[in-house]
Amino acid sequence: MTALLKAEGLVRRYAMRRGLLGRSVEVRAVAGVSLTVERGRTLGLVGESGCGKSTTGRLVLGLEAPDAGTVAFQGQPMSAPGTVAWRSLRARMQMVFQDPLGALDRRLPIGVQVREPFDIHGIGTAADRPARAIEALRAVGLRPDQAARYPHELSGGQRQRAVLARALATEPELLVCDEPISALDVSIQAQVMNLLVDQQERLGLGILFISHDLRAVRQVSHRVAVMYLGTIVEEGEPDAVLHEPAHPYAQALVSAIPHPGRRGGRIVLQGDPPNPADRPGGCAFHPRCPIATALCAQEAPLLKPRAVDGRLVACHVAHGDALPGAGEVRRAA
Amino acid sequence: MIRFLGSRLLRAAITIVMVVTFAFVVLRLSGDPAQIIMGADAPPEAVEAFRAAWGLDQPVWVQYFNYFGAILQGDLGRSMRDGRDAIVLVAERIPATLALTLPALAIKIGLGIPAGITAALHRNSFIDRAVMMLAVAGFTIPSFVLGLLLVLVFAVQLGWLPSGGQDSWRHAILPIITLGVGGAAVLARFTRSAMLEVLGQPYIRTASAKGVPWRSVVWGHALPNAAIPTVTIVGFMVGSLIAGAVVVESVFSWPGVGRLLVVAVGNRDLAVVQCILLLVAMTMVTSNLIVDLLYGVLDPRLRNQPRRAAGTA
Amino acid sequence: MSDIPMQDVTVVQAPPRAPRLRVPPMVLFGLGWLALMLLTAVLADVVSPYAYTALDLRNRLSPPVFMGGTWLHPLGTDELGRDVLARLIYSIRMSLLIAFGATIIGALIGTTLGFLAAHFRGFVEQVVLALVDFSASLPFLILALAVLAFFGNSLTLFICLLGLHAWERYARIARGLAVSAGSQGYASAVRQLGATPWRIYGRHVLPNIASTLIVSMTLAFPEIILLESGLSFLGLGVQPPATSLGSMVGYGREYLTRAPWILLAPALTIVLTTFSVSLIGDWLRDQLDPTLR
Repeated sequence: MTALLKAEGLVRRYAMRRGLLGRSVEVRAVAGVSLTVERGRTLGLVGESGCGKSTTGRLVLGLEAPDAGTVAFQGQPMSAPGTVAWRSLRARMQMVFQDPLGALDRRLPIGVQVREPFDIHGIGTAADRPARAIEALRAVGLRPDQAARYPHELSGGQRQRAVLARALATEPELLVCDEPISALDVSIQAQVMNLLVDQQERLGLGILFISHDLRAVRQVSHRVAVMYLGTIVEEGEPDAVLHEPAHPYAQALVSAIPHPGRRGGRIVLQGDPPNPADRPGGCAFHPRCPIATALCAQEAPLLKPRAVDGRLVACHVAHGDALPGAGEVRRAA
Repeated sequence: MIRFLGSRLLRAAITIVMVVTFAFVVLRLSGDPAQIIMGADAPPEAVEAFRAAWGLDQPVWVQYFNYFGAILQGDLGRSMRDGRDAIVLVAERIPATLALTLPALAIKIGLGIPAGITAALHRNSFIDRAVMMLAVAGFTIPSFVLGLLLVLVFAVQLGWLPSGGQDSWRHAILPIITLGVGGAAVLARFTRSAMLEVLGQPYIRTASAKGVPWRSVVWGHALPNAAIPTVTIVGFMVGSLIAGAVVVESVFSWPGVGRLLVVAVGNRDLAVVQCILLLVAMTMVTSNLIVDLLYGVLDPRLRNQPRRAAGTA
Repeated sequence: MSDIPMQDVTVVQAPPRAPRLRVPPMVLFGLGWLALMLLTAVLADVVSPYAYTALDLRNRLSPPVFMGGTWLHPLGTDELGRDVLARLIYSIRMSLLIAFGATIIGALIGTTLGFLAAHFRGFVEQVVLALVDFSASLPFLILALAVLAFFGNSLTLFICLLGLHAWERYARIARGLAVSAGSQGYASAVRQLGATPWRIYGRHVLPNIASTLIVSMTLAFPEIILLESGLSFLGLGVQPPATSLGSMVGYGREYLTRAPWILLAPALTIVLTTFSVSLIGDWLRDQLDPTLR
């Protein structure tokens, strides 16, 4: 059986121009990402802001076309954005946004907006669409009378439920959640996450869950991928990756979670925060890596199974190809 | 700064090219130039000869480049009516127009800017309301109505000033006032809103809160910042010095460029119209360029930074 | 345009809007005057005492009632004995027709080009922006005169020509707001639902920016009346036998000393109408859209 979603070697470049007549600098927001989402499963994608996780989300949904690489949905290649085939495919893959207030049209009541997917994809008759919209709202725990409310009249959690109701209205197979809870109060985050898990069970959704919140990712994911500067550096079972990270960047991320019982200090990364416009050669992480070696500055490590337990990791040291160095490797002469 | 200048010059050049192209396209769309210039009853051989002489039998893009080349050499065609060079005809009229528009510009600036500043500094006071009411009135009364009213009162009823013509300086008074008042109203409205916007900024409140005298807050901080948007509109007024008096010149029978334009349009004297169009475009583009450079002086932020910072993902 | 989003809504409470408005007296006056003008224009055939071309050769240049004339011609007659009131009524109809037509054309062209620029970006956007630069850098009156010189005059052409006035403002507004709506937020959310561009722009973006566009239209309307009357005054706009407010002033000018009423009635109408619409526009802008300058 083919995977629900399979992306291979995705690359997305942007041209950033400095000034009107300045030379344009190429920014590789996504630099070769491969991932797979299975039916009824959740892949968590973590990394700091600017690492390309949101762009990856947009690429796998086909909202923008990759400069290299392929996306296959149920074995079929993605059609070009804006085409008729692409539009009808939207009924089967949906997105949940970080900012629910921004994702909703503030001039339309949410009932009308939840009904829109039915209008767009011609589902049901015009007469029974309002009832379907009410049903979709009920499924995410909103009351039917709230259909007449405008977005600004709802709380943040209710708005995100409305966005979710709209996304799930066509009963899609794939859902990409881009930081779906980071704009919400902590008390409401858990409710929305539980809702997501419930809906996944109900509809057999495959979910790509993008977040910088490791604990949220761990709560909902069946697999976790860690991203740094446009590439995936480690991927595996959430408990394994988040308890015992193999890649030094993942280790630093995990050590940053406040944890009362943990011994040992946090790993504080050295050097400048990553800048996609000025990508270091070799391993992209080496200028900040505490254990970088000379090899790391020259050769980019591949994402491949580790010999010990088969976990996917992209690090020379973790694979035993190099002995841990002392970091601070300057570009070797 | 050089890059800033370069991009501005490029934009100016593009605008000029577009105006020339516009004139060319419109000229070609409006009919066969040979027929128009030679007249409908010209013998066919003469029309053919004209076509050959002016290269009208060549492909359109060749014609376009020839046209462009001729304009670059200052050849703007001859007036249909008396066969003189259009550019000479227009140049003769420029001093008369400037005799109206320059003093009027002085009135606009001298009256409009102080009125706008005063209104903004006394927001919602009686002065503010009065100035704004006058400004709206000045802006909504068309210049031909104002001009004719002035004629009716000062020339017809009182007999103090002549109603039209260009014989002495007294003839210029009414047209200058007519031109100046409307522009002053526009400038006053604009200056007021620019000032109000600046006065609402946090740095003005900070300056006055930390005890800087109000006088130096206004002169040192508010005015220089409010000057930036005001310069744009003054630049537009400077740019229209040459042809900004079309209506007023007609009302007062003043023999300037505007009057020439109206007559030429009426006679479909295309060479003259096209010549004025290009002249106005040049003036406008030049003054826009100067405004942009002044921006650089007034607002150091615009000097080195790119105006449009290109965004990333 | 503004009621598109309201069609199938069971309204509980209106979307965000200023609390109950107090309309200043000057704006009330403006609204009243504008209503009177609209009524006059619509009912011109009913309320006009005479046909606007009807001659009364025995009563040429007869003064209005308040200057010693008779009630036969309340606002007097012109040099051919045509009733000034009747001509005024038909002129109002003509000038308003032109102004409304041109305003709507300008808004349509500008908004469409703005949306096209925002939708396609790249080359299309650069072309639109260059056109915006171009038309913002030339005084419109000169451009209009040039076109009239080249193409001659007809009412349709005249309305379309005036419609080009201020199109670049709508284009700028529509492009700017559509780009910001499309890069993040509701427009991109609806796009990924699978909506066609028609639905995105017609049902979502347009209603959201409608208030800004309407304010711009209100501000452009008096400018178009002024342009129309100016061109007609110069004899290059509306051509006889048709009449507009500007052409009435233009023809009345020759009788300035002997029969100033021919010119004063339409002149006063122009001033009051532009004044009213400007007041309404300023007020609307302050109420709806403080971000416009």
